[in-house]
Amino acid sequence: MHACFAMRSVAAVGLVTAAILGGVATKASAQNVTLEVWSHEADEPAKVAFRELAAKNLEKSRPGAKVKITWYEKNPLFAALKTALPAGKGPDVFYLEPDQVEYITASYVIPLDDLVNWNNIEPWARKVWTHNGKTYGIPQEAYTNELYYDKDALKKLGIALPANGQLTQAQFLEVAKKARAAGMTPISQGVGDRPYPGAYISGEALLRKLGPDDYQKLFTGKLSFADPRVVEVLKWVKELVDAGAYPKNFMTLKLGESHYYFYSKPGAVTLPMGSWYTGRAFVPEDKGGQPEKFPLGIMQYPAMDGGACNQCKTSAIGASFVINAASKQKELAAAFLNAMSTPEMGKMWIETVYLQTGIKADVKNFSGPHAAYFTELMDRQKGVTYFIGSPRDMVTGECKDTFAQVLNSAFPGGLLTVDQAVQMMNKSCYKG
Amino acid sequence: MSISGRLSRFARRNSARPEIDARRAGIGILVVFLAPALLIYAGFTIYPVLRTFYNAFHAIKPHGVVEFVGLGNFTALLLADSIFWKAVSNTAIFTIVATIVDVFGGLLLALCLFARAPLAPLLRVVWFTPVLMSYVVVGIVWVWIYDYDWGLANAVLHWLGLGAYEQSWLGHPSTALSSVLVAHVWKWLGFNMIVFLAALHALPAEVLGAAELDNCGWLAKLVYIIIPMLRATIVNLLVLSFIGKMMVFDLIWIMTGGGPLWSTETVSTYVYKRAFEWNTFDLGYPSAIAVLWFIIILAFIAIMTRLLRQRDRLEF
Repeated sequence: MHACFAMRSVAAVGLVTAAILGGVATKASAQNVTLEVWSHEADEPAKVAFRELAAKNLEKSRPGAKVKITWYEKNPLFAALKTALPAGKGPDVFYLEPDQVEYITASYVIPLDDLVNWNNIEPWARKVWTHNGKTYGIPQEAYTNELYYDKDALKKLGIALPANGQLTQAQFLEVAKKARAAGMTPISQGVGDRPYPGAYISGEALLRKLGPDDYQKLFTGKLSFADPRVVEVLKWVKELVDAGAYPKNFMTLKLGESHYYFYSKPGAVTLPMGSWYTGRAFVPEDKGGQPEKFPLGIMQYPAMDGGACNQCKTSAIGASFVINAASKQKELAAAFLNAMSTPEMGKMWIETVYLQTGIKADVKNFSGPHAAYFTELMDRQKGVTYFIGSPRDMVTGECKDTFAQVLNSAFPGGLLTVDQAVQMMNKSCYKG
Repeated sequence: MSISGRLSRFARRNSARPEIDARRAGIGILVVFLAPALLIYAGFTIYPVLRTFYNAFHAIKPHGVVEFVGLGNFTALLLADSIFWKAVSNTAIFTIVATIVDVFGGLLLALCLFARAPLAPLLRVVWFTPVLMSYVVVGIVWVWIYDYDWGLANAVLHWLGLGAYEQSWLGHPSTALSSVLVAHVWKWLGFNMIVFLAALHALPAEVLGAAELDNCGWLAKLVYIIIPMLRATIVNLLVLSFIGKMMVFDLIWIMTGGGPLWSTETVSTYVYKRAFEWNTFDLGYPSAIAVLWFIIILAFIAIMTRLLRQRDRLEF
């Protein structure tokens, strides 16, 4: 009897213990969840801090939830995603840019229309991520293509900028010629590690000359590069190239190096760049940032003769975040996207990253060491008609590769004539 | 029983056992020892290779959907893809030139050390060090060397009064491939040198001594004695070098990314671009390129080994 009692007691204790442990385990698995996030821009401290803060905010509001952000460089990130997603793996949330439509067409990301608080997102920015009536990405970073310049260098060349900050195409060519004659590099630019910076000048010139509709047609294969207006623009760019507008090491100069080339050594008169220029420039000088007293100015890209839209300017969405269709925690993933997109976070983005954003943020007065910069940036947006999207957002496949090799690199690098460039672009891009 | 008695009984018992042959293991032991390595090999080599062959005949759609396309990928590749042919041409030039320079350059350096040139120990270290460096480091160093404005190559030309020859070495289609080739050779010369040096030291001293007694000059000794005796080493290095060059990726990716104007595009960089940079998840087409290239490499290796194999056995 004693033995029987003992056995029953042990069994009872065992059952109770199992029940308790099981209960704890169930509770733990319900609460202790880890949200996997893969992000690019590890080398931009302000953006890292921004996303880490959003993660902490979410963890505070959701006890038991943990956000694990893995930081990547851009190319390794996309290589990893392209192998992980087809295998049904990958993170819950990941970084994506609007030109990567293949993730949408392949249904590897889910529509966010009913998951995210769109009241906090600018409608124009949301539109960039809208395909067939559904929205797939949270547009965090917005930027405009700007033409930065060294105020002192321009003064030395004896050139005064008009009140609207826009030179004509002839005046800009004159700047290039005068700068070269004075031993200065007119345009700091390099294509050593990116497939697009070399096309800033030609892209913005084409936008102004053609106007938004034909510009879009050009990069979606519906307008020939042999169109007389396109040829006219390319001839002007060729004149700039022949005048020695670009650095001699243009073909190998990397993006980050082109920033340093502009504001430090050897120095250049202008730097065409997305307004995300600040991410690298506004770090301490000893870490490669812009010198504190550098006379940075922003001018508009030149007005083209007979331009259909000389007030046009490219605005585009960069860093964005999407939710993996295979994620088992879509609701939590959406909560993280919301945590990054509050008006407070939008304000923080502008004040720390010094860059536009797709998040609605009520910032009227700028403070801090770079407030003057941001005020000038906003001034340069007055009266502007935006074209949303860069050429890279519109081209795909072989055309994208040819764009990188021709308009981005070989043509501004002085390796091609206008006719050759037209022929190569048409061969890969024009579907007419 | 005393300890000495126990020991003698143990010795008698063991001496009566049949001899244990370490090479005759049971099937169970074999499985235990081989299975881990075979599993890893099957998972990380055999399966990916088979999968690549399978993919090459299919269009891979998202979410595991595959569509059989037969030879469609190969037809498109061979008949309508001009970039592929450019990549093939670049890879062929790179492979032939780099293989010859690497192997015979390595032989020259080894002969130099074998002949006990002044500072030979130092030169051996200096020439071998690049082999120990990663492609990333080598690539970055050479991009700096070739930089137009602050690179060493143009600085030296300028210093020599040859400023007219200064140029963007990696930025022009006419010089980009050869510039990358120089960097590649710089990295691998030392490897071939060390292999040749080991082979040279293994040559029978009597044969070399006899040649000297016969008043054989150094060139004759090299052509008629040393090189024939190094034939096997030369063939092995040629084949190894050939395989490596046909698959060149890292250095080109770091230094030029295949540009300018596809002048340094190789088959491997093109496969990567088609797989990961062309706005598609379809691995069928890049797999077709990889399969075709695999077959070509295999065919060339078979031809090379057949052509270069030793027909008469040297006796010494």
